[in-house]
This record gives sequence, structure tokens and C-alpha cells, in this order.
Amino acid sequence: MPKQQDQQERLSLRHILQEFEECADLTQREFPEIGAYIVYFSHSVDNLLLINQVLDPLSSLKRKKDLEQLLCESQFVPVTDSKTAVKGILGGGVAIFAADSVHLIDVFGPEARSVTESETESIIAGPHDAFVESATTNISLIRRRIRSSHLKVIHCAVGEVSKTDVYILYMKDIANLDYVKDLEGRIRRIETDAINDGGMLSQYIEDKPTSVFPQFLTTERPDVSSSKLVSGKILVLIDNSPTVISAPASFFEFFSSSDDYYERWVLGTALRLVRYVALLITLMLTALYVAVTSFHYEMIPESMLLTLAESRNRVPFPPVYEALMMEFTIELLREAGARLPTKVGQTIGIVGGIVIGQAAVQAGLTSNILIISVASSAIASFVIPSYLMSASLRVIRFGVIILAGVWGNMGLVFGIAVIVIHLCGLSSLGSSYLIPVAPMRSRDWKDVFIRAPFFALVTRPTQNQTSNPIRQKNRK
Amino acid sequence: MTEKIRPFNLAVLVYMSQVGIVVFTLPRTLADYFGTNGWLFLIPCFLLVSFNIYLISCVYRLGKGRSVFDILEQSVPKLLLYPLYAALITVWMLFGCVIGKKYVLLFQMLAFPTTNPMVFKLMFDLLAFMLIIKGIYAISRAATMFFWITLWMYLLLLWVLPDFNWVRLTPFILQGGHDQIKGGLEVYGAFLGYEMSLLLFPYISKAKGSMAAIQAGNAYLSFSYINLGLISFGIFSQDQLKQLLYPLLDILAYIQFPFVERLENLLYGFFLFLVLITAVMYWWGALETARRILPRLKQQVLTFMLLGITYSISFIPKTIDEVNTWIGFLGNVTIGIAFGLPLLLITLLLIQKKGEKRDG
Repeated sequence: MPKQQDQQERLSLRHILQEFEECADLTQREFPEIGAYIVYFSHSVDNLLLINQVLDPLSSLKRKKDLEQLLCESQFVPVTDSKTAVKGILGGGVAIFAADSVHLIDVFGPEARSVTESETESIIAGPHDAFVESATTNISLIRRRIRSSHLKVIHCAVGEVSKTDVYILYMKDIANLDYVKDLEGRIRRIETDAINDGGMLSQYIEDKPTSVFPQFLTTERPDVSSSKLVSGKILVLIDNSPTVISAPASFFEFFSSSDDYYERWVLGTALRLVRYVALLITLMLTALYVAVTSFHYEMIPESMLLTLAESRNRVPFPPVYEALMMEFTIELLREAGARLPTKVGQTIGIVGGIVIGQAAVQAGLTSNILIISVASSAIASFVIPSYLMSASLRVIRFGVIILAGVWGNMGLVFGIAVIVIHLCGLSSLGSSYLIPVAPMRSRDWKDVFIRAPFFALVTRPTQNQTSNPIRQKNRK
Repeated sequence: MTEKIRPFNLAVLVYMSQVGIVVFTLPRTLADYFGTNGWLFLIPCFLLVSFNIYLISCVYRLGKGRSVFDILEQSVPKLLLYPLYAALITVWMLFGCVIGKKYVLLFQMLAFPTTNPMVFKLMFDLLAFMLIIKGIYAISRAATMFFWITLWMYLLLLWVLPDFNWVRLTPFILQGGHDQIKGGLEVYGAFLGYEMSLLLFPYISKAKGSMAAIQAGNAYLSFSYINLGLISFGIFSQDQLKQLLYPLLDILAYIQFPFVERLENLLYGFFLFLVLITAVMYWWGALETARRILPRLKQQVLTFMLLGITYSISFIPKTIDEVNTWIGFLGNVTIGIAFGLPLLLITLLLIQKKGEKRDG
């Protein structure tokens, strides 16, 4: 009987080794005195933990009986099937094969980037730390800010091959549990081989993945995430990605930034209004230039007409080609700047600036006024805090310019109508994407278009459908 | 989380369905048919519309918020109803169609005289199609968005205010007009669109203020019409208004900023949002009715068919005059529906109530 059991265990070890055949990074060690054998990935474990919890204790043992006693300790989890053992080893555990049992101990601790400042969402005032690729570190950054047992975490694994850890975070007494269930269901229903980033995950769970607009807000900032949590939103963290998803989201949420709250309310309000103006400029300025110079010269006052005519008289193309060409060049510059290292990126900026700013005008390829309008649109698009939203708007702008080039002002208006109608059909977790404007929730306007003083921000956003809508007592 | 149209959004939807293409000619119609201080005629129109909305709210109360089609189908055999439905579909479809066509023809006249207007009409219909297939809640959201996008245009009236002169209004009231009945129907036509609220019953929130919201939408529309009428009479005077084809466009053309002037065709573009919602609401009404006859057909297919038919029909009236004749005729029929349908429904509901009492 013992012989048969021994054979079974050996078979299990053999099975594990077979599973990891041709995995050169697998580490195996034998402890012959006590008949133990350990298997792990050295790059996934914390070396100190490995030495203290596994290597040192096992090396000090002299008898098999001592091993049995050691393995009784709670950190060693007995495993009965090889699937769990494989999963444990892949997840940063050490599998200990004794004569008649297999145990797993978690000593997970891979190399990770340390917490640094966010490059995509930098702010002036306020905390500067940003999420990293480790989901556990990210959760700790949030837990550090919300010290409440009501902060709940649901774990799921996504990706048939990658088995990536995904965590859903919500405040039990604030968040709407129907939203939580809906979101969890969507994540669990994902069937794909691997998901590598939060931005990618959000496209799998959005209400309308074909839309150009992001329907969930993504952020790299723990302060933003924790403020979303306490306002009743749900967060989704994915391991190996610094991008956190916040749901549900509304279109207008993409225009607020965390510094709005860290600065005086008047400044916060002014900045928000600037961003909405930036939205209009991004979408419409170049298109308006095209419409006016192609069809509606009567709209330009006499004093400006001369300047404009002078600047355009050498340009051989119709305004729409001129504008599309310049917008395309700006996009090329932006993309090149984003891909290159910072120092080279700066050079590209200077070269691009000179080429676009001076040479193109001198060569008679474009007019000065168009340069101003294209540059203003580009700058305005970068004012929008969410990179995803700003990129979407920049793409849409091309469509509006073409429409303006074909039908002038009417094309421009058609373009706006198409965008608004499209936005009206969007939803985020089933709630309107245009809330609090359509449907109208005037109560929320004071934290959407302006940033009212804190004493006035008494309630949580209606979109969150929270069971606990009151955020604070009105002290005023 | 079932969505319902809440009172504010309902008021906006009603207002946006009402305000349409007539706004461009309204001051001239008032001056031409009603003479001096013709804008005063807007007040009885407002009161009459309010009464009509009261009738609609009676239907809502008596029917306890049931769909008007359910009320009709409970008492009248479907075979008899189908011709009525077909008539409603035809009138609403065509009315939406000619409203769109007139907008497009006006724009062609303003800015693109050589372009075929049917190309613009196609784009207009495409926008309507995109909106209608998204359902009434999306239409309501779009109406609210467009309402905010166009609201600032009222501020432009401030620009012309310094040229307003009370003397031009004259102390005489409704002198020098003609064909008041014809003119009255034309002016009343500018208020049409509110009757679509009859079809909204299943989609509005059961909150108390819903019926008041319809009245509020109409009150706001009347307020803006009266403002526009008063300002037009105070700027142009009655005789001049009679000569102007589109007084509102002239007011808009008068506005100048240091960096931009002759804004009328850009601002005219913004009126697209108002006209679009009016046309979309009529087409949505036609679609809702058509779904009663063809319930199995997919909504997208039905919408495509309806809009395809209206687009083909919109080739027929070629000039603005022809379109105006169509609008005049269809407007009169629509006024008949706006009064007739609620009265019919109230009668049916009273009969149904009597029957219920007798049965139990």
C-alpha cells in the first residue's frame, strides 16, 4: 500500500515536471535527507521570503518526521490536484513535494516598477503618485486612501490563456449593487486568450464597443480612483496594467481633472469652462475656417478680409485640402513625439514647428491663419484631461472638416448633429452617457460645468444610482 | 433601471417638437394677416393650444397613462382602426417630410443656389433615421442637448434691442389685416407638434408634473414667439414686415461682431436642430402608428421603409411655394388631428368607464 502511494506522488511530481517541460526558467531543488523536492519560478518569487520561509527551514531539517511537522504550519497549503499546483507555481508559489503530500507556499514577489508620477495625467497641485503594473500595489494605494471595511474587492481571472487577475472594487454601502453585478457578469463573460491592459479590458465590457467614444473613464491616478469609489462608482483593476477603469461614466466626466478639487473653486470652475471651450475649438475651429474660406467669405469683416486674402492668395489648394494636410502633419508630429524618447521628441517638436510654422507658409503651401487655427485646435485638444477622449475628438475632427469642406456651415452643423445624435445613443452600464444634461439632472451641474465650493457639493452624482446619495451635511 | 422621460425633458421635447420652420416667416404672417400689433394674436393661439393640451391631459388622466393605441383598440375593431392609422401615418409622415424639405430649400436659397436640394434632404433624412432607430429616449436626450445648444441664440436678440422702438408698434391693435381665418390657421400651425405628446404616454414618468410639463413647454414656446413677434414689430414696423420674406433671417443678418458678421447662414444652420426634432417627432409618431399595423416588422426596417417613402415623396414639391401649399394643407389636417384625436379618445374612455361601471 505505501509503495502504491509513493508511486502516485512520484507520478504527480512527474506530471508537474511534464507540464513545465521545456520551461528553462523553472527552478527545481531536491532535499535528499528529508525526501523533499521543490519546484518554483525564481523570477516570480521574493528571494528573501523564499530563503526565510522555504530554503532555510527545509535545509535545517534532518528527519522526514520534522518535515511533516513543518508542513503542518498554516502557510503551507496542502494541494491534491496537479491543476492547482500548476496554477500556484505560475502565480509565484513554491510547490513542496514530500513523500506522501504536496504543499504550496505563496512567496510571490516579482520585480516591479516602483510607484512613480503619472506621465499621461500629470497635475500641478495634489498627490503625484500613480498606479503601477502590479494590481496588489494598486489596491494598496487605494486602501491607503480609503480605510474602510466597506471597500469590497471581487476577484476574477480573465483570458483563457493568460488567466490575468482582475479585481472589481466598490464601496458596499454606496455603490449600486446592480451595477456591480452587471459589471462582474460582463467581465466573467469575456472569452478571449489574453487581455493586457485596462484600456483593452474596457473595450470588451463597454455597452457599445463600436463607438469612437470611450464609455468608461480610465485613470492612472489613485486619488482620482478613490474619489470615484466614494462617489459610488465601481473600479476595475487589472494585473500588469496601471490603467484603472471607473464605471459608469458620463461624457462630461472626461472634462474634469483632479486638480479642480485641489485648487480654489473659482479657479477650478474657470479651468473647467476653459476645457469646454477647448472642446468646441478642437471640433470646430479648423472646420469653421474651411467653411468660411470655401463658401462664406461674406462672414469675414472687411478689415480682416484683406489679411486673409493676402495670406491665402499664394495657396494653390482649396481650403479643405490645405486644412486636412496641415491637420495630418500635426497628427504625424504628435505621433512621432509620443513614440520617440523625450530628448529626440523635443527635436521633432522644434523641427516640426519650424517646418510647419515658417517653411510651409513661405513655400505658399498654406496660409498663416490656417496655421493658427490648426495649432489652436491641436493645443485645445491637449487641454482635455482624458487622453482617450482627446484622441477620439481629434479623429472626429477630420470628419467635421470634410463635411465643412463639402457643405460649408451646413456641413459643420450636420457634423455636430451626427456627433450629438451618436452620443445620445450611448450608455455606460445602461445609464445615459449624456447625464446630467440629457436626461437633465440640474443637481449635478454644479460639479460638471462648474466646480462649486465644497459646501455646495452635498450629493453624489445621480448617474451612480447610489443607495446613499448624501455625501456630506451642508455646513453653510 | 428603466428610463422614463421626466418632466423637464418632456417640456423640452414638447417645445422642440413645436418650434420649427414657421419661425422664419411668423412675424410676416402676423403683420400680413393681422395688421398692426399682429403679435398680439399669439396670445389667443397660446390659450387655445393650452386648452388642447388640457384635452390631452384629460386623456392621460382618464386612461391612467395607457397608450392611446391601447385605448383605441379596446373599443374599436382593428379593421376600422387600420384606415385611421393609415391616415395618421400618411399625414404625419408627409408633414415631417415637407418641414424638412422647406428647411433644405431655404438653405439652398441662402447659400448653395446651384446644389441639388435633395442631397441636403438626404443628409437631413439620414440624421433623422439615425435618431429614430435609437428610440424615443434617445430622441428626448437629443432634444435636450439641442435645446441647450440653441438656447444661447436668444441672447442674440439683445443685440438688436437698441434699435427697438415702441413708436413702431403704433397704438392700433390688429388693424389692416385680411383673411384672418386663413392667417389664424397658419399662425396656429406654428404651435403644432405638442399633439405628439399623446403618443408619449407610455414613455413618460408617472410623476405628477408630466402634464404640467407639456403646458410648460408650450408656455415657453409662446413666450419666445411673443418675444420674437414684439421685437420684430418694434424693429421693422408692420408695413416693412409685410415686405420681408423671412424677417428672422434679416434680424440675424443684422448682427455683427468685430471678427465675424453676416452670421445668418451659420445661425440658420443651428435651426437645423430645431427643425430636425420637429420632423423626427412626426416621423416617430408615424412609426409608432405603423408598428400597430405591422408589429412583426423590425423597427429599423420599418423606419427605413417610411423614410424611404417620404424621401421619394419629397421630390414632388419643387419650389418653396409648392412646399408652402403642402405645409398649409397638411398643417390644417394636423390641427384637425390635434383636436379630433383627444376628443375621440375622451369619448371612448368615457364609454369604457361606463361599461366598466355597468359590468362591475
